[in-house]
Amino acid sequence: MTVRNRGALAAMAAGVAALTVATLVACGAQPAGTVGAEEANTLASVPSATAGAPSVPVTAGELPVDPEIIPPVRLVIPKIDVTATVNAVGINGRTNEFEVPPSVDEIGWYRYGPGLETRAGSVVVAGHVDSARQGRGAFFRLGELNQGDTLTATGSDGQTRRYRVVAREEYRKTRIPLDRYFARDGKPRLTLITCGGPFDAKARKYRDNIVVTAVPA
Amino acid sequence: MQLSYFRRVAAGGAVAALAFAGVGAFTAGPAYAATSKVSVVHGIPDTPVDVYVNGKKTLENFKPGDVAGPLNLEEGDYDIALTKPGEPIGSAILKVDNAAVPGGANISIAAHLDAAGQPKITPFVNDVSKVDAGKARLIVRHTAAAPAVDVRAGGTPVFKGLTNPNEAKGDVDAGTVKADVVLAGTDTVAIGPKDLNLKEGTATIVYAIGSAEGKTLGVVAQTITGLHSAPGGVPSGDGGQAGTGVDTWWYVLTGAGVLLLLGGGVRLATARTGRK
Repeated sequence: MTVRNRGALAAMAAGVAALTVATLVACGAQPAGTVGAEEANTLASVPSATAGAPSVPVTAGELPVDPEIIPPVRLVIPKIDVTATVNAVGINGRTNEFEVPPSVDEIGWYRYGPGLETRAGSVVVAGHVDSARQGRGAFFRLGELNQGDTLTATGSDGQTRRYRVVAREEYRKTRIPLDRYFARDGKPRLTLITCGGPFDAKARKYRDNIVVTAVPA
Repeated sequence: MQLSYFRRVAAGGAVAALAFAGVGAFTAGPAYAATSKVSVVHGIPDTPVDVYVNGKKTLENFKPGDVAGPLNLEEGDYDIALTKPGEPIGSAILKVDNAAVPGGANISIAAHLDAAGQPKITPFVNDVSKVDAGKARLIVRHTAAAPAVDVRAGGTPVFKGLTNPNEAKGDVDAGTVKADVVLAGTDTVAIGPKDLNLKEGTATIVYAIGSAEGKTLGVVAQTITGLHSAPGGVPSGDGGQAGTGVDTWWYVLTGAGVLLLLGGGVRLATARTGRK
Protein backbone atom coordinates (compact mmCIF):
# COMPACT_ATOMS: atom_id res chain seq x y z
CA MET A 1 0.00 0.00 0.00
CA THR A 2 1.41 3.35 -1.02
CA VAL A 3 1.82 6.34 1.23
CA ARG A 4 -0.73 8.06 -0.93
CA ASN A 5 -3.29 5.34 -0.27
CA ARG A 6 -2.61 5.41 3.44
CA GLY A 7 -3.29 9.14 3.49
CA ALA A 8 -6.54 8.66 1.63
CA LEU A 9 -7.69 5.92 4.01
CA ALA A 10 -6.80 8.05 7.00
CA ALA A 11 -8.83 10.91 5.58
CA MET A 12 -11.79 8.60 5.09
CA ALA A 13 -11.45 7.25 8.61
CA ALA A 14 -11.39 10.77 9.99
CA GLY A 15 -14.49 11.56 7.91
CA VAL A 16 -16.33 8.56 9.31
CA ALA A 17 -15.35 9.55 12.82
CA ALA A 18 -16.55 13.12 12.31
CA LEU A 19 -19.90 11.94 10.94
CA THR A 20 -20.32 9.46 13.78
CA VAL A 21 -19.80 12.18 16.37
CA ALA A 22 -22.18 14.48 14.50
CA THR A 23 -24.85 11.77 14.41
CA LEU A 24 -24.49 11.03 18.11
CA VAL A 25 -24.80 14.72 18.98
CA ALA A 26 -27.83 15.14 16.73
CA CYS A 27 -29.55 12.16 18.35
CA GLY A 28 -28.77 13.47 21.83
CA ALA A 29 -30.21 16.81 20.81
CA GLN A 30 -33.58 15.39 19.99
CA PRO A 31 -36.34 17.40 21.71
CA ALA A 32 -38.22 15.87 24.63
CA GLY A 33 -40.96 14.99 22.20
CA THR A 34 -44.62 14.51 22.69
CA VAL A 35 -46.62 11.85 24.47
CA GLY A 36 -50.31 11.89 25.34
CA ALA A 37 -51.28 14.77 23.03
CA GLU A 38 -54.60 13.04 22.40
CA GLU A 39 -55.38 12.82 26.14
CA ALA A 40 -54.51 16.48 26.66
CA ASN A 41 -56.79 17.46 23.83
CA THR A 42 -59.68 15.39 25.13
CA LEU A 43 -59.43 17.02 28.56
CA ALA A 44 -59.92 20.42 26.96
CA SER A 45 -63.06 19.48 25.07
CA VAL A 46 -66.36 20.70 26.43
CA PRO A 47 -69.47 18.58 26.04
CA SER A 48 -72.13 20.46 24.12
CA ALA A 49 -74.96 21.71 26.30
CA THR A 50 -77.81 19.29 26.54
CA ALA A 51 -81.24 20.57 25.67
CA GLY A 52 -82.58 20.90 29.16
CA ALA A 53 -85.81 22.25 30.53
CA PRO A 54 -86.89 25.48 28.90
CA SER A 55 -87.05 27.22 32.26
CA VAL A 56 -85.24 30.53 32.47
CA PRO A 57 -82.64 30.98 35.19
CA VAL A 58 -83.27 34.05 37.31
CA THR A 59 -80.57 35.58 39.50
CA ALA A 60 -80.54 38.53 41.82
CA GLY A 61 -78.64 41.21 39.95
CA GLU A 62 -76.18 41.80 42.74
CA LEU A 63 -72.66 43.06 42.21
CA PRO A 64 -70.25 40.15 41.78
CA VAL A 65 -68.24 39.16 44.85
CA ASP A 66 -64.74 37.76 45.08
CA PRO A 67 -64.92 34.06 44.23
CA GLU A 68 -63.24 31.56 46.54
CA ILE A 69 -60.02 30.59 44.82
CA ILE A 70 -57.35 28.35 46.31
CA PRO A 71 -53.94 29.27 44.89
CA PRO A 72 -51.24 26.60 44.83
CA VAL A 73 -48.35 27.60 47.09
CA ARG A 74 -46.03 24.60 46.76
CA LEU A 75 -45.27 22.10 44.06
CA VAL A 76 -43.43 18.80 44.53
CA ILE A 77 -42.38 16.58 41.61
CA PRO A 78 -40.24 13.72 43.02
CA LYS A 79 -39.26 12.28 39.62
CA ILE A 80 -37.32 15.42 38.66
CA ASP A 81 -36.35 16.58 42.18
CA VAL A 82 -38.59 19.63 42.21
CA THR A 83 -39.74 21.18 45.47
CA ALA A 84 -40.67 24.74 44.71
CA THR A 85 -42.58 27.69 46.06
CA VAL A 86 -45.46 28.80 43.85
CA ASN A 87 -46.36 32.49 43.57
CA ALA A 88 -49.46 34.05 42.07
CA VAL A 89 -48.56 35.93 38.89
CA GLY A 90 -50.37 37.68 36.10
CA ILE A 91 -49.54 39.34 32.84
CA ASN A 92 -46.55 41.47 31.93
CA GLY A 93 -48.16 44.76 30.94
CA ARG A 94 -45.50 45.54 28.37
CA THR A 95 -45.34 42.22 26.55
CA ASN A 96 -48.79 40.77 27.29
CA GLU A 97 -46.99 37.56 28.23
CA PHE A 98 -47.19 35.28 31.25
CA GLU A 99 -45.22 36.88 34.09
CA VAL A 100 -42.95 34.00 35.11
CA PRO A 101 -41.37 34.81 38.53
CA PRO A 102 -37.94 36.44 38.20
CA SER A 103 -36.35 33.90 40.58
CA VAL A 104 -35.71 30.69 38.65
CA ASP A 105 -36.29 28.64 41.80
CA GLU A 106 -39.91 29.76 41.98
CA ILE A 107 -42.91 28.82 39.94
CA GLY A 108 -45.70 31.15 38.84
CA TRP A 109 -49.37 30.28 39.05
CA TYR A 110 -51.64 32.15 36.61
CA ARG A 111 -53.91 33.96 39.04
CA TYR A 112 -56.57 34.85 36.47
CA GLY A 113 -57.32 31.21 35.75
CA PRO A 114 -58.75 28.63 38.15
CA GLY A 115 -57.12 27.61 41.42
CA LEU A 116 -56.80 24.14 42.92
CA GLU A 117 -60.46 24.17 43.99
CA THR A 118 -61.61 24.15 40.39
CA ARG A 119 -64.00 21.60 38.97
CA ALA A 120 -63.36 22.72 35.41
CA GLY A 121 -60.55 24.16 33.38
CA SER A 122 -56.81 24.38 33.48
CA VAL A 123 -54.76 25.48 36.49
CA VAL A 124 -51.60 26.85 34.87
CA VAL A 125 -48.16 26.99 36.47
CA ALA A 126 -45.00 28.01 34.63
CA GLY A 127 -41.36 28.06 35.66
CA HIS A 128 -37.98 28.77 34.16
CA VAL A 129 -36.04 26.03 32.49
CA ASP A 130 -32.97 28.13 33.19
CA SER A 131 -31.64 31.67 33.18
CA ALA A 132 -28.43 33.20 31.90
CA ARG A 133 -27.65 34.74 35.29
CA GLN A 134 -29.15 32.27 37.75
CA GLY A 135 -28.47 28.96 36.01
CA ARG A 136 -30.84 26.01 36.11
CA GLY A 137 -34.46 26.73 36.90
CA ALA A 138 -37.09 24.76 38.81
CA PHE A 139 -38.42 23.26 35.57
CA PHE A 140 -35.01 22.40 34.07
CA ARG A 141 -35.99 18.74 33.81
CA LEU A 142 -39.72 19.14 33.13
CA GLY A 143 -39.26 17.46 29.74
CA GLU A 144 -38.26 14.22 31.51
CA LEU A 145 -41.74 13.71 32.93
CA ASN A 146 -43.70 10.86 31.47
CA GLN A 147 -47.23 9.55 31.51
CA GLY A 148 -47.99 8.07 34.92
CA ASP A 149 -45.51 10.18 36.89
CA THR A 150 -47.08 11.83 39.93
CA LEU A 151 -46.73 15.22 41.53
CA THR A 152 -48.39 17.10 44.35
CA ALA A 153 -49.60 20.65 44.68
CA THR A 154 -50.33 22.19 48.06
CA GLY A 155 -52.93 24.92 48.22
CA SER A 156 -53.16 28.00 50.40
CA ASP A 157 -55.67 25.98 52.43
CA GLY A 158 -52.86 23.64 53.50
CA GLN A 159 -54.34 20.72 51.59
CA THR A 160 -52.08 18.67 49.35
CA ARG A 161 -53.52 17.35 46.12
CA ARG A 162 -52.07 14.58 43.97
CA TYR A 163 -51.86 14.73 40.20
CA ARG A 164 -50.89 12.19 37.56
CA VAL A 165 -49.15 13.16 34.33
CA VAL A 166 -51.15 12.25 31.22
CA ALA A 167 -49.26 14.15 28.54
CA ARG A 168 -46.01 15.87 27.68
CA GLU A 169 -45.99 17.98 24.54
CA GLU A 170 -43.48 20.19 22.79
CA TYR A 171 -44.57 23.03 20.53
CA ARG A 172 -42.90 25.85 18.71
CA LYS A 173 -43.83 29.00 20.60
CA THR A 174 -45.36 30.36 17.42
CA ARG A 175 -47.76 27.43 17.16
CA ILE A 176 -48.63 26.46 20.72
CA PRO A 177 -52.42 26.35 21.24
CA LEU A 178 -52.31 28.53 24.37
CA ASP A 179 -56.10 28.97 24.39
CA ARG A 180 -56.41 25.29 25.17
CA TYR A 181 -53.92 25.43 28.05
CA PHE A 182 -55.45 28.58 29.52
CA ALA A 183 -59.03 27.32 29.09
CA ARG A 184 -61.44 27.72 31.96
CA ASP A 185 -63.64 24.89 30.83
CA GLY A 186 -63.17 21.22 30.11
CA LYS A 187 -61.98 18.66 32.68
CA PRO A 188 -60.07 19.94 35.74
CA ARG A 189 -56.34 19.67 35.07
CA LEU A 190 -52.97 21.06 36.03
CA THR A 191 -50.84 22.43 33.21
CA LEU A 192 -47.09 22.93 33.70
CA ILE A 193 -45.20 25.01 31.16
CA THR A 194 -41.55 25.82 30.55
CA CYS A 195 -39.21 26.47 27.64
CA GLY A 196 -37.39 23.92 25.55
CA GLY A 197 -36.13 22.96 22.14
CA PRO A 198 -33.23 24.60 20.34
CA PHE A 199 -31.80 27.73 21.93
CA ASP A 200 -31.21 30.85 19.88
CA ALA A 201 -28.08 32.27 21.52
CA LYS A 202 -28.42 35.64 19.78
CA ALA A 203 -32.03 36.28 20.78
CA ARG A 204 -31.47 34.46 24.13
CA LYS A 205 -34.65 32.52 23.57
CA TYR A 206 -35.76 28.95 23.31
CA ARG A 207 -37.74 28.04 20.23
CA ASP A 208 -40.27 25.80 21.95
CA ASN A 209 -42.50 25.42 24.95
CA ILE A 210 -42.74 22.15 26.83
CA VAL A 211 -46.19 21.52 28.27
CA VAL A 212 -47.01 18.82 30.80
CA THR A 213 -50.65 18.05 31.51
CA ALA A 214 -51.67 16.31 34.74
CA VAL A 215 -55.05 15.30 36.12
CA PRO A 216 -56.17 14.80 39.73
CA ALA A 217 -54.92 11.36 40.74
CA MET B 1 -105.29 59.03 31.25
CA GLN B 2 -106.08 55.83 29.48
CA LEU B 3 -105.13 57.39 26.18
CA SER B 4 -101.88 58.90 27.39
CA TYR B 5 -100.92 55.57 28.92
CA PHE B 6 -101.52 53.85 25.63
CA ARG B 7 -99.46 56.43 23.80
CA ARG B 8 -96.65 55.91 26.25
CA VAL B 9 -96.57 52.21 25.62
CA ALA B 10 -96.72 52.70 21.88
CA ALA B 11 -93.84 55.15 22.05
CA GLY B 12 -91.84 52.70 24.11
CA GLY B 13 -92.48 50.06 21.49
CA ALA B 14 -91.26 52.28 18.71
CA VAL B 15 -88.03 53.00 20.52
CA ALA B 16 -87.42 49.34 21.18
CA ALA B 17 -88.08 48.29 17.59
CA LEU B 18 -85.73 50.96 16.36
CA ALA B 19 -83.01 49.91 18.72
CA PHE B 20 -83.38 46.28 17.74
CA ALA B 21 -82.94 47.23 14.10
CA GLY B 22 -79.71 48.87 15.19
CA VAL B 23 -78.66 45.60 16.78
CA GLY B 24 -78.83 43.93 13.40
CA ALA B 25 -76.31 46.33 11.96
CA PHE B 26 -73.89 45.56 14.78
CA THR B 27 -74.00 41.83 14.47
CA ALA B 28 -73.41 40.68 10.94
CA GLY B 29 -72.57 37.26 12.36
CA PRO B 30 -71.97 34.07 10.42
CA ALA B 31 -75.00 32.58 8.72
CA TYR B 32 -75.22 29.56 11.03
CA ALA B 33 -75.40 31.72 14.17
CA ALA B 34 -79.16 31.79 14.10
CA THR B 35 -79.81 32.01 17.83
CA SER B 36 -79.14 34.92 20.09
CA LYS B 37 -78.60 34.96 23.83
CA VAL B 38 -81.16 37.22 25.41
CA SER B 39 -81.23 38.32 29.04
CA VAL B 40 -83.91 40.35 30.74
CA VAL B 41 -83.09 42.92 33.40
CA HIS B 42 -85.72 44.34 35.73
CA GLY B 43 -85.01 47.91 36.72
CA ILE B 44 -88.44 49.31 37.53
CA PRO B 45 -88.70 49.78 41.32
CA ASP B 46 -91.53 48.23 43.32
CA THR B 47 -93.13 46.54 40.32
CA PRO B 48 -92.86 42.75 40.09
CA VAL B 49 -94.11 41.50 36.72
CA ASP B 50 -94.87 38.46 34.61
CA VAL B 51 -93.04 38.48 31.29
CA TYR B 52 -94.72 37.16 28.16
CA VAL B 53 -92.79 36.34 24.99
CA ASN B 54 -95.01 35.78 21.93
CA GLY B 55 -98.03 35.47 24.20
CA LYS B 56 -96.44 32.74 26.34
CA LYS B 57 -95.65 33.40 29.98
CA THR B 58 -91.86 33.08 30.20
CA LEU B 59 -91.12 34.63 33.58
CA GLU B 60 -93.40 34.61 36.57
CA ASN B 61 -93.28 37.18 39.34
CA PHE B 62 -90.04 38.65 38.00
CA LYS B 63 -88.76 40.99 40.70
CA PRO B 64 -87.10 44.39 40.45
CA GLY B 65 -83.34 44.01 40.58
CA ASP B 66 -83.40 40.50 39.11
CA VAL B 67 -81.74 39.33 35.91
CA ALA B 68 -83.23 36.48 33.89
CA GLY B 69 -81.51 34.45 31.25
CA PRO B 70 -79.75 34.08 29.06
CA LEU B 71 -82.47 32.61 26.87
CA ASN B 72 -81.51 31.18 23.52
CA LEU B 73 -83.87 32.82 21.05
CA GLU B 74 -84.02 31.99 17.37
CA GLU B 75 -83.50 34.91 15.06
CA GLY B 76 -86.88 36.51 14.38
CA ASP B 77 -89.55 38.92 15.56
CA TYR B 78 -90.87 38.76 19.10
CA ASP B 79 -93.74 40.28 21.01
CA ILE B 80 -92.74 41.07 24.56
CA ALA B 81 -95.28 42.02 27.22
CA LEU B 82 -95.04 42.76 30.94
CA THR B 83 -98.05 42.33 33.18
CA LYS B 84 -98.65 42.67 36.88
CA PRO B 85 -98.20 39.18 38.37
CA GLY B 86 -101.20 37.01 37.57
CA GLU B 87 -102.91 39.51 35.33
CA PRO B 88 -103.87 38.56 31.75
CA ILE B 89 -101.66 39.64 28.88
CA GLY B 90 -104.50 41.88 27.70
CA SER B 91 -103.80 44.25 30.54
CA ALA B 92 -100.05 44.49 29.97
CA ILE B 93 -98.36 47.44 31.63
CA LEU B 94 -95.65 47.52 29.00
CA LYS B 95 -95.37 45.84 25.63
CA VAL B 96 -93.23 45.75 22.53
CA ASP B 97 -94.50 44.11 19.35
CA ASN B 98 -92.38 42.66 16.55
CA ALA B 99 -89.07 43.34 18.18
CA ALA B 100 -86.54 41.94 15.71
CA VAL B 101 -83.93 39.74 17.39
CA PRO B 102 -80.99 39.22 15.02
CA GLY B 103 -78.98 36.00 14.90
CA GLY B 104 -75.76 35.48 16.80
CA ALA B 105 -76.06 38.42 19.16
CA ASN B 106 -75.94 38.76 22.92
CA ILE B 107 -78.67 41.12 24.02
CA SER B 108 -79.98 42.44 27.31
CA ILE B 109 -83.50 43.76 27.42
CA ALA B 110 -83.94 46.22 30.24
CA ALA B 111 -87.32 47.15 31.65
CA HIS B 112 -86.64 50.44 33.37
CA LEU B 113 -87.63 54.04 33.89
CA ASP B 114 -86.80 56.72 31.37
CA ALA B 115 -85.24 60.01 32.47
CA ALA B 116 -88.71 61.37 33.21
CA GLY B 117 -89.71 58.37 35.30
CA GLN B 118 -91.94 56.52 32.83
CA PRO B 119 -91.51 52.76 32.37
CA LYS B 120 -89.98 51.61 29.11
CA ILE B 121 -88.09 48.74 27.49
CA THR B 122 -84.62 49.25 26.06
CA PRO B 123 -82.60 46.52 24.33
CA PHE B 124 -78.82 46.71 24.61
CA VAL B 125 -76.27 44.80 22.57
CA ASN B 126 -73.67 43.30 24.88
CA ASP B 127 -70.07 43.55 23.75
CA VAL B 128 -68.93 39.96 24.14
CA SER B 129 -65.70 40.30 22.19
CA LYS B 130 -62.66 38.83 23.96
CA VAL B 131 -60.78 40.99 26.44
CA ASP B 132 -56.99 40.91 26.62
CA ALA B 133 -55.36 38.69 29.22
CA GLY B 134 -55.43 40.41 32.60
CA LYS B 135 -58.32 42.70 31.65
CA ALA B 136 -62.00 42.96 32.49
CA ARG B 137 -64.76 44.86 30.74
CA LEU B 138 -66.90 47.36 32.62
CA ILE B 139 -70.16 48.47 31.03
CA VAL B 140 -72.34 51.02 32.78
CA ARG B 141 -75.91 51.66 31.61
CA HIS B 142 -77.99 54.63 32.65
CA THR B 143 -81.49 53.24 33.03
CA ALA B 144 -82.68 55.40 35.91
CA ALA B 145 -85.01 58.36 36.21
CA ALA B 146 -82.13 60.72 36.79
CA PRO B 147 -80.18 63.38 34.91
CA ALA B 148 -76.79 62.91 33.27
CA VAL B 149 -74.19 61.30 35.52
CA ASP B 150 -70.46 60.65 35.77
CA VAL B 151 -69.14 57.29 36.88
CA ARG B 152 -66.07 57.49 39.09
CA ALA B 153 -63.54 54.81 39.99
CA GLY B 154 -61.41 55.60 43.02
CA GLY B 155 -62.73 59.15 42.91
CA THR B 156 -61.69 59.78 39.31
CA PRO B 157 -64.39 60.15 36.64
CA VAL B 158 -64.02 57.33 34.10
CA PHE B 159 -67.28 57.78 32.20
CA LYS B 160 -68.63 61.31 31.88
CA GLY B 161 -72.01 62.75 31.00
CA LEU B 162 -73.84 59.43 30.68
CA THR B 163 -77.56 59.86 29.99
CA ASN B 164 -80.63 57.59 29.97
CA PRO B 165 -80.85 55.16 28.08
CA ASN B 166 -77.20 54.96 27.05
CA GLU B 167 -74.15 52.98 28.02
CA ALA B 168 -70.44 53.63 28.50
CA LYS B 169 -67.81 50.92 28.54
CA GLY B 170 -64.14 50.21 28.75
CA ASP B 171 -61.66 47.38 29.24
CA VAL B 172 -59.74 47.88 32.47
CA ASP B 173 -57.23 45.98 34.60
CA ALA B 174 -59.00 43.16 36.42
CA GLY B 175 -59.43 43.69 40.13
CA THR B 176 -61.56 45.55 42.62
CA VAL B 177 -62.31 49.26 42.28
CA LYS B 178 -64.35 51.53 44.49
CA ALA B 179 -66.90 53.12 42.21
CA ASP B 180 -69.65 55.66 42.61
CA VAL B 181 -72.07 57.61 40.44
CA VAL B 182 -72.28 61.39 40.72
CA LEU B 183 -74.44 63.99 39.02
CA ALA B 184 -72.50 64.97 35.89
CA GLY B 185 -69.79 67.51 36.58
CA THR B 186 -70.40 67.54 40.34
CA ASP B 187 -69.31 65.73 43.47
CA THR B 188 -72.90 65.00 44.45
CA VAL B 189 -73.00 61.26 44.93
CA ALA B 190 -76.15 59.65 43.52
CA ILE B 191 -75.21 55.97 43.93
CA GLY B 192 -72.51 54.28 45.93
CA PRO B 193 -69.66 54.13 46.55
CA LYS B 194 -69.60 50.37 46.01
CA ASP B 195 -66.78 47.86 45.56
CA LEU B 196 -66.79 46.61 42.00
CA ASN B 197 -65.07 43.26 41.67
CA LEU B 198 -64.10 43.12 38.01
CA LYS B 199 -63.07 39.55 37.37
CA GLU B 200 -60.59 38.93 34.61
CA GLY B 201 -62.06 37.74 31.34
CA THR B 202 -65.59 38.83 32.18
CA ALA B 203 -67.88 41.71 31.33
CA THR B 204 -69.59 43.28 34.33
CA ILE B 205 -72.64 45.25 33.29
CA VAL B 206 -73.95 47.66 35.90
CA TYR B 207 -77.37 49.20 35.40
CA ALA B 208 -78.20 52.35 37.32
CA ILE B 209 -81.92 51.95 38.08
CA GLY B 210 -84.73 53.55 40.02
CA SER B 211 -85.63 57.17 40.44
CA ALA B 212 -83.71 60.10 41.88
CA GLU B 213 -86.95 61.81 42.85
CA GLY B 214 -88.40 58.67 44.42
CA LYS B 215 -85.10 58.07 46.24
CA THR B 216 -85.00 54.56 44.79
CA LEU B 217 -81.70 54.82 42.93
CA GLY B 218 -79.67 51.63 42.96
CA VAL B 219 -77.87 49.19 40.73
CA VAL B 220 -78.50 45.86 39.06
CA ALA B 221 -75.51 43.89 37.83
CA GLN B 222 -75.17 41.30 35.11
CA THR B 223 -71.98 39.32 34.47
CA ILE B 224 -70.95 37.68 31.22
CA THR B 225 -68.11 35.17 31.58
CA GLY B 226 -65.85 33.43 29.12
CA LEU B 227 -64.40 36.49 27.41
CA HIS B 228 -60.82 35.76 28.52
CA SER B 229 -57.82 35.47 26.22
CA ALA B 230 -54.64 33.47 26.77
CA PRO B 231 -51.41 35.35 27.45
CA GLY B 232 -49.31 36.19 24.40
CA GLY B 233 -46.70 33.63 25.38
CA VAL B 234 -44.85 31.91 28.19
CA PRO B 235 -41.20 33.04 28.16
CA SER B 236 -39.45 30.85 30.69
CA GLY B 237 -35.76 30.60 29.97
CA ASP B 238 -32.84 32.57 28.57
CA GLY B 239 -29.87 30.51 29.74
CA GLY B 240 -29.60 28.03 26.89
CA GLN B 241 -28.36 25.16 29.09
CA ALA B 242 -31.36 23.06 28.11
CA GLY B 243 -31.13 23.80 24.41
CA THR B 244 -31.73 20.70 22.32
CA GLY B 245 -30.73 22.05 18.92
CA VAL B 246 -27.32 21.54 17.30
CA ASP B 247 -24.81 24.39 17.14
CA THR B 248 -22.84 25.77 14.21
CA TRP B 249 -19.89 23.49 15.02
CA TRP B 250 -22.10 20.51 14.27
CA TYR B 251 -22.56 21.63 10.69
CA VAL B 252 -18.79 22.32 10.35
CA LEU B 253 -18.01 18.85 11.70
CA THR B 254 -20.53 17.16 9.42
CA GLY B 255 -19.26 19.11 6.41
CA ALA B 256 -15.66 18.24 7.21
CA GLY B 257 -16.59 14.58 7.64
CA VAL B 258 -18.28 14.45 4.25
CA LEU B 259 -15.36 16.23 2.57
CA LEU B 260 -12.78 13.92 4.14
CA LEU B 261 -14.73 10.83 3.07
CA LEU B 262 -15.19 12.06 -0.47
CA GLY B 263 -11.64 13.36 -0.80
CA GLY B 264 -10.14 10.12 0.50
CA GLY B 265 -12.40 8.04 -1.72
CA VAL B 266 -11.53 9.99 -4.83
CA ARG B 267 -7.85 9.77 -4.03
CA LEU B 268 -8.02 6.02 -3.55
CA ALA B 269 -9.94 5.60 -6.77
CA THR B 270 -7.53 7.71 -8.81
CA ALA B 271 -4.57 5.88 -7.27
CA ARG B 272 -5.98 2.54 -8.38
CA THR B 273 -6.73 3.79 -11.89
CA GLY B 274 -3.18 5.15 -12.03
CA ARG B 275 -1.71 1.72 -11.19
CA LYS B 276 -3.47 0.07 -14.07
